[in-house]
Amino acid sequence: MGRGFVNWSGSLSFTPGEYAEPADEDEVRALVRRAREAGTTVRPVGSGHSSSPLVRTDGILLSLDRLAGVIADDGELATAWAGTKLKALGEGLYDAGLAMDNLGDVDYQSIAGATATGTHGTGLGFGNLSTQVTGVRLVTGTGETVDVSAEHNSDLLPAARLSLGALGVVTRVTLDVQPRYELRRRSWCAHVDWTLDHLAELQHTNRNMDFYWYPRSDQTQIRVMNRVDRAPDERVWQPRLVPGEAFPGEPGEVRVGPTHRTIPRHRELRFEEIEYMLPAEAFAACFAEVRRRIRQRHRRVVGWRVLVRSIAADDIWLSNAYGRPTVTIACLQNTSLPYEEYFRDMEAVFRHYGGRPHWGKKHWLTARDLRPLYPRWDDFQAVRRRLDPDGVFLSRDLARLLEEA
Amino acid sequence: MAQIGARTWVVPGGRVPFPGHGREPEFGSFDQLCVLNATDQEAELSLDFYYEDAEPVGPYRILVGARRIRHVRVNDLIDPEAVRLDRPYGCVLRSPVPVVVQFLRQDTRLPGVVALTGAMAYPG
Repeated sequence: MGRGFVNWSGSLSFTPGEYAEPADEDEVRALVRRAREAGTTVRPVGSGHSSSPLVRTDGILLSLDRLAGVIADDGELATAWAGTKLKALGEGLYDAGLAMDNLGDVDYQSIAGATATGTHGTGLGFGNLSTQVTGVRLVTGTGETVDVSAEHNSDLLPAARLSLGALGVVTRVTLDVQPRYELRRRSWCAHVDWTLDHLAELQHTNRNMDFYWYPRSDQTQIRVMNRVDRAPDERVWQPRLVPGEAFPGEPGEVRVGPTHRTIPRHRELRFEEIEYMLPAEAFAACFAEVRRRIRQRHRRVVGWRVLVRSIAADDIWLSNAYGRPTVTIACLQNTSLPYEEYFRDMEAVFRHYGGRPHWGKKHWLTARDLRPLYPRWDDFQAVRRRLDPDGVFLSRDLARLLEEA
Repeated sequence: MAQIGARTWVVPGGRVPFPGHGREPEFGSFDQLCVLNATDQEAELSLDFYYEDAEPVGPYRILVGARRIRHVRVNDLIDPEAVRLDRPYGCVLRSPVPVVVQFLRQDTRLPGVVALTGAMAYPG
């Protein structure tokens, strides 16, 4: 038996048949071939931040922890080992004078795990982290190594940039990177009515913008980030230019630093989370219904915030921002309090408005529900069956997600 | 500065009224702890919540600056977990320096009515 696994939030725990930490790609290939011959499954795991059961297996749980570090860069592209944690990746790129263009809210994840699940930040002009992937190296279900990029096996790229670990074990990730720069983050509180009234303005005049809504006060915390070397239109956050509104004053927090230290926030408090990606045009009505239901049905037990972010459209087959500008709504709950009734009720609202679930967070959708949401679903499955003909990576949980009964 | 207050305070009769009526946050129902720290040291308060049917939950950490007050709505506490609304609780507050603690309840369960209750917490 392998050692027990517990995810970041603590709601997913299991003991795999074997726990492996390969030190190089040869060991990964050997593990996959052995699993294929034995008819067992392999699930790659990064930092274990996801709370959906993507990594659960009674076969081999393959940790990427020993495959870590930046391998090379040429100033525009950087290649890192798949298990490199985002925090370390940010530091490594920074030392080389580089930066990823956008990041998520936390930086615990590995680069392969984050991009395999569609981890995202916020900003109308930014896709999820998978859109920064220009190439990967995969160890497929047959134990072969396949490089995927615009130059090599390019037909696989729209599938491989976000693949749930279903096409193979990603061992290396190549990213589109930028010369490093600094961001200024500002945050302040305002009533939700003010925030919704100014949302489009805030989104369009800031590089990155998101907000938390607090269901027990109807207050919001707004966060905006802009490059220090490119002055944004600051009118939207200057209190004196918000006529007739009791504005809370100057921004409560101002911080300046490089992207990898400014965008993610460190969080000690663990939580469960459901997040859905909505067509941008559906956000206003969906959020109104989310707000109404939480206030009427859930806030006796729910005190945690609701996070709203935006993502640019992309062309990655399993990306939940595929083909449409997206606004996301995430509901959080303390790990020590019940979440399922709350999240299921929220999921019903999200689905009504055409939402797609975050792959790494709580949801209850199966392949039958998911297929209509993704125009290139069948193309992804065809690639998956080609690269993993024996289903080495198709655990029971993956089968429920990807194979219609 | 004079050492005013006590290091331990108790609120045995907590229960955040639920629901509320009117625009929030001004007119929502809430329980609130109002803390005065008249000393020259920052106070890191520790709160533990006690229930009828479950083990205590805490500590909740709250900072009150030197020579400052802080009003904390129980509704807004989430770390380590949100305090459930409409559930009886008792709260024990501990401070490394003497502070003064007042309890305030605003009850807007009845539409068009704002009921306020204010009481000093019990100093231990």
